[in-house]
Amino acid sequence: MRVVVRTVSELCITVGALIVLFVVYVLFWTGVKADHVMDDQIDRLQDQWAQEPVRPTTPAGASEDPAEPAPYRAGKPFAIMYIPRLGFTWNKPVLENTATNTLKKGLGHYARTAQLGQKGNFAVAGHRRTYGDPFKDFPKLRRGDAVVLTDGTTWFTYRIDKGPYKTVPSDVEVIDPVPRKSGYTRPGRYLTLTTCDPEWGHSHRLIVWAHLDSTQPVEAGKPPALRR
Amino acid sequence: MYSFIWRHLPGNAWVKALISLVLVVGVVYVLFQYVFPWAEPLLPFNDVTVDNQ
Repeated sequence: MRVVVRTVSELCITVGALIVLFVVYVLFWTGVKADHVMDDQIDRLQDQWAQEPVRPTTPAGASEDPAEPAPYRAGKPFAIMYIPRLGFTWNKPVLENTATNTLKKGLGHYARTAQLGQKGNFAVAGHRRTYGDPFKDFPKLRRGDAVVLTDGTTWFTYRIDKGPYKTVPSDVEVIDPVPRKSGYTRPGRYLTLTTCDPEWGHSHRLIVWAHLDSTQPVEAGKPPALRR
Repeated sequence: MYSFIWRHLPGNAWVKALISLVLVVGVVYVLFQYVFPWAEPLLPFNDVTVDNQ
């Protein structure tokens, strides 16, 4: 009898310790790992951009209509995103596709949507919580906020038009080339960000939409939205 | 369970304590490195996309 009681209580303690450890892992350790991995992705991108020979700049109108970029490689970073509203030092790598493993390393670009700066809808998903909490402050985004991206050759400044819009997970329309609920009526160069809502849940999604406001080559320095 | 392990560890109390510590660290390492990364995606924190890929 005593052995049974002791074994059961030991099992309870073990399970309790396991749960505590798991919470530590989810709340703390995924963040530590993700910060490290994201910095690593950004370093890799910057090395890659530093090595690439400067592309011959296309004549007049280049900033208006950048040449069609090569397709992105799945799971690999291709851009860095800056959102001043989420913090002046907030910057995250953007990787191709939205697989679970990709989203552990940074923000994920919906593979079927337009490429950065191209006509259509450039849609990106990110974690609200865990893995570095990239979109923790997502509800703070407001109309007019800048979302700046760079692919190593060009700065793209998007301006948010419609602030956090709550929807259900099956609402795939929000990443359409012209999302119906966004208020856009004509095709254009749009950006969609998605994350989960509530913070720790999965019952809804939060969406913001933005349009491409301006582009400038990296040689011209940081865009005004990132200067201070 | 724990007393069983303790009784079967070799050496005196200090050696046993040391071995136990190594065992605990090993278990935590395996959990953090293999078990939790597998279990975590089963929870809802990862659902941030709208097409459920």
